[in-house]
Amino acid sequence: MTDTAVVTRAISAVLACTGAFFFLVGTIGILRLPDFYSRTHAATKCDTVGAGAVLLSLAVLHGLSVDTLKIVAIATFVLLSSPTVGNALARAAYRTGLRPWTRQERSGGEK
Amino acid sequence: MKRASVAALLVLIAIPLLAAMAELPPHGSSETPAYTHVSERYLQRGAQEAGAENIVTDVILNYRGFDTNGEVTVIFTSVVAVAAILLLRDEERTSQERSSTPVSPVLLFIVRTMAPFIALFGMYVILFGHLSPGGGFQGGTILGALVIVSTVVLGPDVAHRMVPAPARPWLQAAAPLTFVTVGLAGLAVTGHYLGFPSGDEWGWVGTLMLVVIEIGIGVGGGTIMASIFWMMEEER
Amino acid sequence: MRSDMLSRAFDITLLLLLVACAISVIRMKDLLAATIVFSTYSLIMCLIWQHRGAPDVALTEAAVGAGVTTVLFLVAIGRTTRVEK
Repeated sequence: MTDTAVVTRAISAVLACTGAFFFLVGTIGILRLPDFYSRTHAATKCDTVGAGAVLLSLAVLHGLSVDTLKIVAIATFVLLSSPTVGNALARAAYRTGLRPWTRQERSGGEK
Repeated sequence: MKRASVAALLVLIAIPLLAAMAELPPHGSSETPAYTHVSERYLQRGAQEAGAENIVTDVILNYRGFDTNGEVTVIFTSVVAVAAILLLRDEERTSQERSSTPVSPVLLFIVRTMAPFIALFGMYVILFGHLSPGGGFQGGTILGALVIVSTVVLGPDVAHRMVPAPARPWLQAAAPLTFVTVGLAGLAVTGHYLGFPSGDEWGWVGTLMLVVIEIGIGVGGGTIMASIFWMMEEER
Repeated sequence: MRSDMLSRAFDITLLLLLVACAISVIRMKDLLAATIVFSTYSLIMCLIWQHRGAPDVALTEAAVGAGVTTVLFLVAIGRTTRVEK
């Protein structure tokens, strides 16, 4: 294996691990965070950064080809759509009068 | 007592099913009937014989064309059934303004930016169905989903303009209509209903007919999807 | 073969998830949640098709199962009630 191949693999491994880490943290966040808004935030993070990093790692691993272009297109799509979905969800919840969780009312926020 | 009888019934049903399963050839074995009859020939000669590189498309539209013809008719029937149920109370519908919250500008911008690309992808999936995975059903669903997203985000007026009202019944019936048209064209050319010309000289005509059917299925499927959504959404 | 075993482990994980999703869809009383879990079911099914070498079916499953069916279910819930009686 040449040096560049080793470097490419290392970069792609680091990116993949970053993505997996964000997915893990996002999933824990969805399960553990107290109210709708923070959970939406966690889910969006996990989608955007997690999927983005994993896709970038695949692109790096693949080198320059048409497939890489497709992967980059998918990554762009994810980077655009996932935050938008988070925005739409949070906005819809806020408009329908869901109040954010605060320290004062521990039972509040939900429902 | 009731539970016990249900359990007994389930066991009674399970025994013959399990017995029949034990009779099946082992999973993945190359000697199962599925692998020994026609699939060999499909895989070896499908590309020349049926006119499409993608064997799945060959099977769906050419070798098993009659089944797909019936299938698209079933899909068309579904939209007729939904219309029959949901549009019955058409007269008593009042033109009430929907009290919706304004759509977020972020969402609006993103959907407007993405829409052409989604449409392009849908058309790509339809038109390249004979070369790569995909085809009329898949691409049509993507186009239908695009129309549904436009209805939700950009408003029904914009979405309704994407599928013009006078053409709507024809577009809904596009899949069976193209199928029958191409089938009759095949009858005229080769003497068989849904017969596709093949061979080196006339193979491209067969491919063209496959692509036309794909487009018909795509347009029909997408329109049907959007129409069902509109019918369910409208008289709220 | 290591890759063979990996592939099999992937298959089994997906199938277990599929069964879990199917059971929870049946048992849920909240139809909105059931719809979301059902779209997860379709997504897993789509992965299984793809892994089994049927990208055409996977594409259909992703578009119809996870996409449009979910939307139609949501509209239907909006027109009726959210909780199963």
